[in-house]
Amino acid sequence: MEQRKATIRTACVEALPLAIAIAAYGLSYGVLATQVDFNALTAVLMSVLVFSGSAQLVAVAMLAGGAGLTSVLLTVVLLNLRNLLYGAALADGLGPAKKWTSLLAFGITDEPFVLASSRFQKVGPDPLYFAVVAGIFYIAWIFSSLTGALIGDHLDPQKFGLDLAFPVTFAALLVPGLKGKPVIGTALAAVLMALCLEWFKPGNELTIIITGLLAPLVGLFMHRRSDHG
Amino acid sequence: MVNQWILIGVLAVATYVSRVLGLTVMAGRELNPAVRLYFNYVPTAIIVALIVKQIFIPSGGHLVLSLPVLAACLAGALAILLFKKFLPSVVAGVVVGLLVRYFL
Repeated sequence: MEQRKATIRTACVEALPLAIAIAAYGLSYGVLATQVDFNALTAVLMSVLVFSGSAQLVAVAMLAGGAGLTSVLLTVVLLNLRNLLYGAALADGLGPAKKWTSLLAFGITDEPFVLASSRFQKVGPDPLYFAVVAGIFYIAWIFSSLTGALIGDHLDPQKFGLDLAFPVTFAALLVPGLKGKPVIGTALAAVLMALCLEWFKPGNELTIIITGLLAPLVGLFMHRRSDHG
Repeated sequence: MVNQWILIGVLAVATYVSRVLGLTVMAGRELNPAVRLYFNYVPTAIIVALIVKQIFIPSGGHLVLSLPVLAACLAGALAILLFKKFLPSVVAGVVVGLLVRYFL
């Protein structure tokens, strides 16, 4: 019992700083969602059912650009590929949860993965820790989305530059992750590819999917080269 | 206009399936390191493509560079590099974009 309490306390302490960051993303998501005609209910429902910052922000931004259901879905599937890695890496650590594992699976996303994988390395399997961390992030995500949606509902998009908030949000998400030649190479390749595709056919729906599929190959190539050089 | 309810349902299923597949099917398998890296680079590529599509806007069959969006992105990027805070950086970027929109 004492140990369970200690686990819960550690999980809370370690989750809190990231929960604040997640709330900031949630706030942006909520505001942006209302710009593509989501209301507070549907914006929050998406957070409740999907619980993925990257998938939701990308979906909303693509809708703003006039994308259809199929291209949004394909892009999200592509984004979700990394959940396969997370799930595979966390499987042993979540193992003792047995039948609850399929519930805990819902919490697999970037931030819980980072915290849980370092926890599992330190103390071994610990589903309770994961459950508490994911739960805190889930609550933070839902309430910040709701707050954002309620704020966004009352703002005049042009006047407050909310249309500008889409690209800026993605720029702010992108830049901190640009570390190492392969990632920077991927980003530069993506700029070129997206530009060429848009040049070839302005406003075409395939730009994001094709760039998402091909630009990482350039990163991979650069990684190989730096490995052997 | 995409039906929001269908979109939410489809994204919820697609995302949950990717999570469960990782835990069940992928668990215990040695994944090719190249595939692992590839999966990790994908979000960067998608985010960049999204930004490019918003800086270069189609207009009458041509691409037009949107200066306010470009300025906003550069300012936002610079702000997060300098101050490491997400929301203030987004606000700073938007403000710079608005200034460019109204004064240039």
